[in-house]
Amino acid sequence: MMRNKFIGLVGLLVILSLTLGACGAPATTTDAGAPQAVEEATQAPAEEAAAPAQEAAAPADANTLPRDETLYFNGQQWGSVVGWNPYSSSNNNAMAISQGDNARVIMFETPYLYNMLDGQVYPLLADGDYTWNDAGTELTFKLKSAAKWSDGTPVTAEDVAYTWATHVKYNTPIGAANVDYIEDIVAVDPQTVVVKAKLDDAGKAVNPLLVAAYVSSNYVMQKAWTETLEARVGDDATAFLADPAEDVVYSGPYAKYFADDSKVVYVRNDNYWGQGPSMWGKLPAPKYLAHVIFKDNAAGTTALQAGEVDVSQQFNSNVQDLWLKDNLPISTYLPEAPYGIGASLPTAWYNLNSPGLDQVAMRKAIAIAVDYPTIIANAMTNQSATFTQVPRSLMNPTEGEQAMFDHAAVADLQWAGNDVEGAKKLLDDAGIVDSDGDGWREYNGKKLSYVATCPNGWSDWQAAIEVVAAAGKEIGIDITTNFPEWSVYQTVVTKSDTPLPEGYDIFMMGSNGAGPTQPWGRARQMMSSEFIGMPSNWNGNFGGYTNPEADALIQAIPAETDPAKLKEMYTELVKIYLTDVPSFTLMYRPQSFHTVNESVWTNFPHEGDGTNPPVPPLNLTDGWSIAGLYNLTLVNP
Amino acid sequence: MKFMFQQAFRSGKFVTGFSIFMAILLVVLIYPLIIKDPPLTIIGRGTFFEPGIYVNVYDSLGSPQYTLNLKGADARRVASRLNDDDRAAMQEWLVAAGVPEAEIDTADTPLLLELWFKTYDPTLSVPGMTNARRNYFIRLNNSLQGLLDPNDAILAARDEEGALQQVGTIAQTDFVNVGQVPNVRLLPLGTDNFGRDVLTELVAATRVSLQIGFVAGFIATLIGLVIGLISGYIGGIVDDSLMFITNLFTVIPSFVLLILISFSIGQDKRGAFTVAAVIGFTSWVWTARAVRSQVISLRNRDHVNLSRLSGHSLFSIILRDILPYIASYVVMALILQISAGILAEAGLSILGLGPRTTEVPTLGLMMNWAMIYQAHILGKWWAFFPVILVIALIAFSMNLMNTGLDQVFNPALRD
Repeated sequence: MMRNKFIGLVGLLVILSLTLGACGAPATTTDAGAPQAVEEATQAPAEEAAAPAQEAAAPADANTLPRDETLYFNGQQWGSVVGWNPYSSSNNNAMAISQGDNARVIMFETPYLYNMLDGQVYPLLADGDYTWNDAGTELTFKLKSAAKWSDGTPVTAEDVAYTWATHVKYNTPIGAANVDYIEDIVAVDPQTVVVKAKLDDAGKAVNPLLVAAYVSSNYVMQKAWTETLEARVGDDATAFLADPAEDVVYSGPYAKYFADDSKVVYVRNDNYWGQGPSMWGKLPAPKYLAHVIFKDNAAGTTALQAGEVDVSQQFNSNVQDLWLKDNLPISTYLPEAPYGIGASLPTAWYNLNSPGLDQVAMRKAIAIAVDYPTIIANAMTNQSATFTQVPRSLMNPTEGEQAMFDHAAVADLQWAGNDVEGAKKLLDDAGIVDSDGDGWREYNGKKLSYVATCPNGWSDWQAAIEVVAAAGKEIGIDITTNFPEWSVYQTVVTKSDTPLPEGYDIFMMGSNGAGPTQPWGRARQMMSSEFIGMPSNWNGNFGGYTNPEADALIQAIPAETDPAKLKEMYTELVKIYLTDVPSFTLMYRPQSFHTVNESVWTNFPHEGDGTNPPVPPLNLTDGWSIAGLYNLTLVNP
Repeated sequence: MKFMFQQAFRSGKFVTGFSIFMAILLVVLIYPLIIKDPPLTIIGRGTFFEPGIYVNVYDSLGSPQYTLNLKGADARRVASRLNDDDRAAMQEWLVAAGVPEAEIDTADTPLLLELWFKTYDPTLSVPGMTNARRNYFIRLNNSLQGLLDPNDAILAARDEEGALQQVGTIAQTDFVNVGQVPNVRLLPLGTDNFGRDVLTELVAATRVSLQIGFVAGFIATLIGLVIGLISGYIGGIVDDSLMFITNLFTVIPSFVLLILISFSIGQDKRGAFTVAAVIGFTSWVWTARAVRSQVISLRNRDHVNLSRLSGHSLFSIILRDILPYIASYVVMALILQISAGILAEAGLSILGLGPRTTEVPTLGLMMNWAMIYQAHILGKWWAFFPVILVIALIAFSMNLMNTGLDQVFNPALRD
């Protein structure tokens, strides 16, 4: 009998492990762009029917939103919303609070909106363009008199000034990032704001580019509400940033309607000031914006296929199958590959302290041997322009940035990959050869072996790193791969005050996307030596590259206003970058993925949609792309 | 011993299980001798190529050409690019563009195409048409170009000035014999998300998974056996303390333990055999308990007492007087442990805690990558279904063998 029991128990174990295996959909996501996407893995399942307990407390119809008044999203919100505090960076409230180059403006608003397609900024809270004074030290803009808070009071210059003062006072990430460049923001009169740049010894603005970027990247918050919050927390900085701010006053067209661990819903403010003629002239089309919190990418894709998601900010591998094979009414910004507009440059960095990688020949050899077409076709399933279409530089594939450098001048330095013979020759010429006949080259008598790495679970990056490793084997350099967890990876890679540990010879990090300071910001990220020695360096140059010439150019560009001179300087930077190869870009990646299902809504932004200025494919929420929310119409009105 | 084997092979269940297992084993051993490609080579530029025979287009142009006049060839060519849904969609567009419905005959391809090319305008905005639909019509329009063209396709090459010169033609009735094309690649199971040949990878993965299963199974059985024998035979305080440890492991679900250990080892150190060892070290508990109870029932038998009286050593008694009596049982436990080990590896890898990716393929890793690239959602069955089938077959065959053996050796079950 014991035998039978034993067999039964082992059988049970087998069943248990099978069940566990089956339930354990990959605890990872393919969205390499967003760190929170990796941390979200273990959230509760989020089908529509989940969490009935909370429903009781919520508005009666939160679970039965009228489909033809609701725009559904995926890929932005992983895990439940923590708070609504626009000063804090730990709200986990991606749809409402996301400040940056393409700030998300459904709830809080920036003075200006950046449009990644034409590189221009357009006034939102601001009235007309901003102006610089002749000395280039002060930026002045006016506020629209129509701009109102959700409590009906006008948005004033005092609000803008107090927002900045609060960022500095509580040392928020935004305050810390800008305090070296912005001296102060003051209200001249209720409608006029002056942003005073920090000046260097010569009396010039330290960085006018970053000063100008501030007004399109950061929200304006109400002074009165901020003071209420301060009074509530008793000026305690930690409590100030930790406050969930359910009572927050906002100026944007949407606000909180409902949030729990299954979804978050925003409802239109029908008194929104922007419906006046001074801004949009009407209200945005959907009454509700809803984001169901999906367990993982696969669940999000299934919902997109079923028409339960209208706008998808997810990496859907082989996205073209959704319309070619499944005949679904799904489309992307471009009808053919690469389907979106590349904006950032996921890049493999060399640790310049690794033995051998201090040699330009070695770095260039590995970089030119890599099979980029395979990375783009397999890892990105063709959702990236190829390096034949957009040859490598420091610029992203948008027209604006591509026009910033002289293509002919750097053509000889660019490479499209797969150049195994060229790479071998480079190494042979540099004397890095296989002298003991074991098939691997040696440098200073030591066999060359490197570890190429990227975070675990970021599948497109992992696949790309595998291809890099394969290139090493082709040219006699032993490259193996390793995928540490993101929590470990990020602390190692961003610690620039000590040399990188073993196992980080070649590693991947993303780059800046599109924004008002680009491509300068990206050039700085790739090459500036100012970041070496920082204990927590999220800015760039993770491999420890130093070139005084490049530093000088990066320093000089923000103050330069002559376009011809700028082009010359950028060309020089690209030349240095492609000659020294401190890192090499593996693919182009969109600012955000933008796949839409036209089962309910239509007239989403797409190439040649006739909008002027063009609406960028950023999910109708980021920067100028919010203009798209006003163009939506129902398929069956 | 010989008798035992003969007995085992009289059980139908055992023979079936054994044959399936041997078949898998044979494929794993023989396949690499025939197809010598390394299993992890990326051959496809693109993901999830469908199963099929891939014929090199460039080479087939240079291969001997034959003319075959096949009936219905034209119709098949048209049907491949213009199906009934497409025809209905064309009618819909034409009606929306103002063509009277009576003028449209979707069954008459030449007429339909003529009308279509005359009317279709990609820039025309049809009310209520979505962008996805507009893209569809643009694609359809492109694929219809030259559909009914009876002319030969022209091969051209650049001359010295770079101008195109006709060098040959291909008629619509030209065929090549696949056997005469130098480069033909059979991909019976297509390619995976990395562009690797799934069959080659699957065979290599099965081999590694079997190895993992064997290592894990042997480790687990060995630990369980040693602990069970010692604690069962010696008894007393040794038994109590060993059983204390065993009970501790019993209450912690071994799969949870497995996950925790695998996670803490870290991805860089997780080779296939580390994972096998971890599985082995977490799954010995039931073997230990079962062996112990068998030994307890054996230790006061007459022949054991006789041996003890004759002054045989502890080691010798356990080895000669106890082990042979539970040997059949241990073999059965081993079989189950091997199968459980393979399943555990698959479970771990699906969770992303399996062996690191680059070095060797395993069944679990193949499933993991197929899921990450959403093969199950996009209907790329060849990337995951064969893997599931192999795992199921291995587990099935081993369980069959086990049940077969049980029927032979368990007196309670014997006919």
